[in-house]
Amino acid sequence: MAQQPKLIEDHIRKNKLDTLVICLFMVILLFSVIFAIGYILGAPPILTMMLALPLAIFYILITYSFSIQSVISAAGARPANPQNREEKMLIYKVEEMSIASGLPMPKVYVQESRDINAFATGHKPQDSIICATTGALQQLNSEELEGVIGHEMSHIRNRDILVMTVTVGVVGAIALIAEIALRMMFFTGGRNSDRKGGGNIIVLVIAIIFIILAPIFSRLTYLAISRRREYLADADGAYLTRNPEGLAKALEKIKGDLPDDPKGSKTVAPLYIANPYKRALRDSVWSTHPPLDERIRRLRSM
Amino acid sequence: MDLMLIIGLIVLLIVVGILLWFFSYYNRVIRYENRIDNAWAQIDVQLKRRADLIPNLMETVKGYMNHERGTLEAVTQARSAVMTAKNPQDSINADNMLTGALKTLFAVSESYPDLKANQNFLQLQDELTHTEEKIAYSRQHFNDSVLQFNNLIETFPGNIFAGMMGKKERQMLQIPEASREVPKVSF
Repeated sequence: MAQQPKLIEDHIRKNKLDTLVICLFMVILLFSVIFAIGYILGAPPILTMMLALPLAIFYILITYSFSIQSVISAAGARPANPQNREEKMLIYKVEEMSIASGLPMPKVYVQESRDINAFATGHKPQDSIICATTGALQQLNSEELEGVIGHEMSHIRNRDILVMTVTVGVVGAIALIAEIALRMMFFTGGRNSDRKGGGNIIVLVIAIIFIILAPIFSRLTYLAISRRREYLADADGAYLTRNPEGLAKALEKIKGDLPDDPKGSKTVAPLYIANPYKRALRDSVWSTHPPLDERIRRLRSM
Repeated sequence: MDLMLIIGLIVLLIVVGILLWFFSYYNRVIRYENRIDNAWAQIDVQLKRRADLIPNLMETVKGYMNHERGTLEAVTQARSAVMTAKNPQDSINADNMLTGALKTLFAVSESYPDLKANQNFLQLQDELTHTEEKIAYSRQHFNDSVLQFNNLIETFPGNIFAGMMGKKERQMLQIPEASREVPKVSF
């Protein structure tokens, strides 16, 4: 028995390293975009960086500090009521999972919705929140609810919310900068190519193509991170409950339950345990979540 | 001259590197060890909490289950065994006894519809089940913490320093067979 948890720990460590690499890659991508723009405009790259970097950091900090409040109000969630037996059971499950993971007890919220769903938010374990829909409380049994809460607790333990917020910030910044740059090139691009030699045209074209592709590229990377994090939280959650079958059954119920009562904006969607929007969106390349079937398969093979 | 300076600098860098690594390793060992103690405190809190709930349960059940003296006595005995246990493994064993006794009690209670309708009893049953789960999970967390600590002090190169710090392998709690197993993860 002693050997198996070590395996999981190694696996989690590897995943965290991967995510770090992807995050670094995102930051490098952001810098490259700024560099490419500087090259096209003929401006000294240092000047562009000195302007763009504080702006990007400021933007990320703002997104970060308002994230909890905006998520809770976007979802229309309220604190769980211990007088209600279903909600009391939710509080119990969260308490059990916080003990299993050795983390402080998160605040427990409930969202009125017929759909089966749940999400976690917060900056660090000390100020985290776990929220489940009333649909989840009514339709999931104790074992399945435990699996779902274990998954959310793992998001908190892996600092997923923090990483996701920062990544969203970078993706947004890249999209914004690329947009501005492309617009600016319409006005100043001609003058610069006159000044520079003919050999630079190829480099110039590559730079422009790069700026056009960068937002798509960063968005896909973000999606890859978020999907990877879902798999990791599934594995981690199963390790907490020692019962992968609970979460697998819960995901099966979610799959069978048509999402028809989404609450909150699309920005909150990546936080949920399953995409709350139309089923067609759930399994596409642009989906923030891996296909439910694949997640169930992986849980069952543990 | 220049060569001496470079060699000196490299040696200095290596020494500083090893020192920094040692500081962080030392702190990690202390942190992991504290986590084990804290995990044990958690188990203790939950064990006490459950023992405190038993008298209430007995009070509620008494009027209904007069014919089940043996079942009730088993619970009371197991509770006092939990209260008087001296070391971790003893209290875990006593707690397993209590879990078994309570399971019998709740199974027997199925045949007393009046008791099943008692709001107080239902609430106690919920809370006792919840406390039992918390005990199981705090025990699991304790063993996870011990495993991490043992891995930290027994793997190379940490084991050299752990030996110098006088840190020894910690014992895991024996969990009864009925408990869940660790899932195998293959990706």
